[in-house]
Amino acid sequence: MSAALPAAPVETRLRAERWRLRVQATRAFARRYLRRGDGLVGLVILVVFAVLAIAPQLFVGPLQTATTATGSSLEGPTSVHLFGTDELGRDLLNLTIHGARISMAIGFLATVITIVVGAIIGIAAGFLGGWIDNVLMRLTDFFLVLPTFVLALILAPVILDVIGVEAELFGIRATLLVIIVVIGVTSWATTARIIRSQTLSIRERMFVDRARVIGGGSAHIMRRHIFPNVINLIVANTVLTFAGAVFTETTLSFIGLGDPFQPSWGQVLNAAQSSGAPGLGAWWYIAPPAACVVLVILAFTLVGNALDDILNPKAVGRR
Amino acid sequence: MGGRYLARKAAQAILTIFAIVLLNFVLFRMMPGSPERVLLRNPYLTQEKIAQVRIAWGLDKPLIPDQLIRYVEATVSGDLGYSLKFRGTPVSDVIGQRFWPTILLIGLAEAIAIVVGLAVGAYAGWRRGGRGDRIGSGISLILYSMPYFVIGMPMIVIFASGLGWFPTSGMLTVGATYGSFADQLFDFARHLTLPLATVSLGLIGGYSILMRSAIIETRSEDYVTTARAKGLTDRRVLTAHAFPNALLPMVTIIAINLGYVVGGAITAEIVFNWPGLGTLTVDALSARDYPVLEGVFLLLSVTVVLANLIADLVYGLLDPRVRS
Repeated sequence: MSAALPAAPVETRLRAERWRLRVQATRAFARRYLRRGDGLVGLVILVVFAVLAIAPQLFVGPLQTATTATGSSLEGPTSVHLFGTDELGRDLLNLTIHGARISMAIGFLATVITIVVGAIIGIAAGFLGGWIDNVLMRLTDFFLVLPTFVLALILAPVILDVIGVEAELFGIRATLLVIIVVIGVTSWATTARIIRSQTLSIRERMFVDRARVIGGGSAHIMRRHIFPNVINLIVANTVLTFAGAVFTETTLSFIGLGDPFQPSWGQVLNAAQSSGAPGLGAWWYIAPPAACVVLVILAFTLVGNALDDILNPKAVGRR
Repeated sequence: MGGRYLARKAAQAILTIFAIVLLNFVLFRMMPGSPERVLLRNPYLTQEKIAQVRIAWGLDKPLIPDQLIRYVEATVSGDLGYSLKFRGTPVSDVIGQRFWPTILLIGLAEAIAIVVGLAVGAYAGWRRGGRGDRIGSGISLILYSMPYFVIGMPMIVIFASGLGWFPTSGMLTVGATYGSFADQLFDFARHLTLPLATVSLGLIGGYSILMRSAIIETRSEDYVTTARAKGLTDRRVLTAHAFPNALLPMVTIIAINLGYVVGGAITAEIVFNWPGLGTLTVDALSARDYPVLEGVFLLLSVTVVLANLIADLVYGLLDPRVRS
């Protein structure tokens, strides 16, 4: 023990070196990001809403329902109900903060589906090439041209009729599951296109040839070599997809495809519309959920644009 | 323009439309319950009656190819089936009544948004980093983050129920009698103002952001430098050289965007109870009136495909490079 320590094995040193480089890159990235005022504003807004979404009951107690409502019908803001009440006497501060959870959760899950479907189709098309590429890209073009929002509108009730309203998964009710799936199914096309073009350039890199030489199959190369590399390149796109998912969710819920028992912001606005709040001048019913929707979508867009500028060298100077 | 370019684009469009018809066919048949039960909605039907109906509607034949062929034939000849909600009315009639209010609303809004959005975007991009750019881009980004109904609902609260300048809903005052056509037109214009402002504002954000980056891209092109070197005024470089070239990509973007515009306008129509395709879609949705929903989807997607085709052709005319 007292003898001089032998030099650390090469592998350990390599690992330490790799770790050091990674820390350095992360630091450089953080420095560049912190210099972006708009990206920082977006990040702060998102952190606030993420906290609200994770633990809404800490701030406003459990979600109020028609039976546990604490106020009277359509009451303006008072000291008891800072944001006023809805037509059932529910506190709007309570509804809005709980809405954060539903809106963000749906947005998140829909984004995951979009990216997964987009990645599988994009990587397969770009890496395998040939007729597979042709077929997949025609399919992608088809979905790019379709008015996806209208498709979502007719898909949602059809799927709901097929699986039934009673189904539930991880405590998410069928209506919301359908919204998640429908957003995913109708919005993967853009992601698939981006990933395909990235795959085309990565396919030509040395490490792919190396993996093939040592006997790696196509599936293995796509999973272990292409996928990690394209995922790095579409971080910005993912954040922007999230913004789009929240946008679509809000709109679909507003149109009446949401779930009154798990109200998102769009669902609250739907209730406001059907109770005639705009015509009655009940601004307090509309302002909180509407402001949250705009803030969250804006924040995602700001963060996405900032990431795009930093991570995508070609985009520098575009904005 | 090369004939092959035209033919290829047209063939692609026809193929896409056929795929849309096919999608419609599959979707409607994915639903649980047999069509005759869903359509008749009567639990007291006798077996004989059901069998009779099945034969009359061709449901006894196999799904593919017999039913598919009949479906495609009917669709091509303009027969979209019958509405469930408005019993017995053909879908094409139901849609026909609601078509023009939407066309008017979206057409006018597009015109306003293209003029204003492109002007704001071009100015912001040309004066990049200046005060005008910061204000213009900031407002554009906020508008871009707002679904149409989020713009429309505050509009009602402020300008209709608050200040009382405009009516809250509808296209004409209910039960009003008009002394002259001018009176009727004035009433219509008053009803149109808020929905039109809503859809236009919703569009302006996106258009100005895209136009801004298009202008910024052209700004570093050689021909802009040349124009400057020739000693043209700043204004002339923008209007005669940068602007027309930045317009090129906008043609495609506006056409592709049309699908989203129509979708988004649905929510604006609901907010203002505008009697167009949007309110029709939502009524059909809550009544599960599938034939009407499918008819609307077919109409809108075919419109978008055709708009894209026209954009491709216009693009081919404007930019010789894409024809090859």
